[in-house]
Amino acid sequence: MSDVIWIPLSDLAHGRSGDKGDAFNIGLIAHQKNWIELLENAVTPELLGEWYGDSVSGLISVWPMPGIGAINCLLRGGLGGGGTTSLMLDAQGKIWGQSILRMRVPVNKKRAAELGVSLDNHSEDQWDLSHLC
Amino acid sequence: MGLAVRKSNVPALADEPIKIGSGGGFWGDRPLAPLDLLKSDDLDYLMIDYLAELTLSIMTKQKRRDPSSGWATDLELWLAAGGIHTLRKKSVKLVTNAGGANPESCARMVLEQANKIGWHECKVAVISGDDILPRLDYLLENGEEFAHFESGEKISENGAEMMSANAYLGAGPIASALEIGADIIITGRVADASLLVGCMLHSAGWAHNAFQLGLTRESPVADWAPENVRNPLDILAQWTVAGHLIECGAQVSGGNYSNWGDVPNLATLTLPIAEIYSDGVVKITRGQGGGGMVNRGIVAEQLVYEIGDPAAYITPDVVVDMRNITLEDESEDMVVVTGAIGKPEPESLKVSAAIEGGWFAASSLLVSGPDALGRATACDAALRGRLSALEELEIYTEFIGGGVSLPENIRQRVSSTLNPPEVLLRWAVSSTNKQDITDFSREVAPLVLTGPAGVGGYGARPKPRRQLQFWPSLISRKSIEPFVRVELLTHLRITQESERFHFIRKRTRGILSRLQDELDDREWTRPIVKKLGWESNDADAEVTNLQEKEVES
Repeated sequence: MSDVIWIPLSDLAHGRSGDKGDAFNIGLIAHQKNWIELLENAVTPELLGEWYGDSVSGLISVWPMPGIGAINCLLRGGLGGGGTTSLMLDAQGKIWGQSILRMRVPVNKKRAAELGVSLDNHSEDQWDLSHLC
Repeated sequence: MGLAVRKSNVPALADEPIKIGSGGGFWGDRPLAPLDLLKSDDLDYLMIDYLAELTLSIMTKQKRRDPSSGWATDLELWLAAGGIHTLRKKSVKLVTNAGGANPESCARMVLEQANKIGWHECKVAVISGDDILPRLDYLLENGEEFAHFESGEKISENGAEMMSANAYLGAGPIASALEIGADIIITGRVADASLLVGCMLHSAGWAHNAFQLGLTRESPVADWAPENVRNPLDILAQWTVAGHLIECGAQVSGGNYSNWGDVPNLATLTLPIAEIYSDGVVKITRGQGGGGMVNRGIVAEQLVYEIGDPAAYITPDVVVDMRNITLEDESEDMVVVTGAIGKPEPESLKVSAAIEGGWFAASSLLVSGPDALGRATACDAALRGRLSALEELEIYTEFIGGGVSLPENIRQRVSSTLNPPEVLLRWAVSSTNKQDITDFSREVAPLVLTGPAGVGGYGARPKPRRQLQFWPSLISRKSIEPFVRVELLTHLRITQESERFHFIRKRTRGILSRLQDELDDREWTRPIVKKLGWESNDADAEVTNLQEKEVES
């Protein structure tokens, strides 16, 4: 048994997204400020890259905002050219801040339990997507 | 002619906060919502940001068709519905970028509204100089490259014609306009947060101090601070954060909140108010008498909205480090914001431009029945087959209800388990060839008869529309700031108050005279740079009266 389990991001954080040209940002705020350590460890550029796959073509950055217990993610090349030329219905990337809350993120089981994070929806498998269906 | 500085023009900012309300988040937001906020609360200022990235390109197009248009007409809707009366009665100053591509015409509308209610002494300031399209060739000849933010491509390499190009101005001109007694300030492109910072530069006495010190308006606003202000950059950063937090209207008072189920009565959502104290402390609250909510989580979501690196949130006035900002719930609907750190203003200003792209249209059909996704896929394949000869045509299909809000690779992972009762099949197409778009538009509705069963919901053939391509870049301050104009309009006659912080720099004199030649073709134009004192013109008598009143009070 691994120490790491996978929980839906919505159990750890809430968020908001918006566009910056052909990039969009997702700000993720931990439900409790001291959960920031879990959030920072869990949501990395690599994890975001795995979730978005080819839907994001450019560099992914993640910066901490410890004062409010948040991280800010910037995903470049994800809006089909940007709000003005994009053919996507949500050309401004407004939905991604909510849609990503269904992504599973890794947390240390013991530490998450100590901090009071709900583990009700956890899975051993990153790609257990049964909660989407 | 003496100086028209009113001591009372600089409100004392001690224990009482300055209250700045936000009237909405974009041109298209609830147009009459500012009226409710004005009526329910006692504000010092109302700011409204009407300009998104592309808005100015659209406005520039409108102005080409009709020289009196090109501004945010929603402003007229609420002013005419009683807003102008309430602004006057409650002495609230309005600061808005509703001027868009045509601040002068917008300001004329405002003066007409003021005249209608007998507010003849209403003074409307027009801030312009953000529009660099008239000077584009000159700027290119003099070394500006307009290299695209993301690609680095220079505009000359692209070769496309710019449809609009506007620099983001800062707070300085707004503060100048308030110093010369403006009641209502109409700007073109101004950085969103600077709308609020301009109010504070005036209310906190910084603009007054700058005038006393004889500073030029181009001097960094951090240098405008009175001597006893120890951390001007941090205070500017706090004000900027306040502006950032309320510039999207109700997004910080309960709208678009992740815990949407907690927000009482979205139907009557009220707009936000920033309360700002002399030490830079900012409190975010909201208008009374309606639904909505302000708490730490909501303010945090707006703090992160549309930002990049939180260590460097760049505005023309200050670069803000947001990393150590903290938020505290002080009481119900009241959040205290502290901890923003300011770094000196950037050397360059952002330019938001648009170039003409190809042609575009979108259309959709509703697909239902057993295996709705399979039917939608067949329907899409039929359309693509019928248009396969059009090599330039790009077709983008979305199966709405079939997981479009998931990244494609996630959608594929779950596709076998999805069985939605219906799918909205949406196509968006683009091409350099307008006829391709027309051909597409003719093939959509026929799918109701010639596709799989269960297809409905067709509408009229969509018309081909021109796409605009966003072109963000940077420009040096010296190419913009000497050309910024602050004019005061009153009684439907345009006079010009002195640019009191504004002196000609010798090295820019040549550029100034060149620009002036272009601008003087327009009847409202007055020389850009004037010594202090009113312009002598037909409106002199009225203006002199006003000025005397100011000196007395």
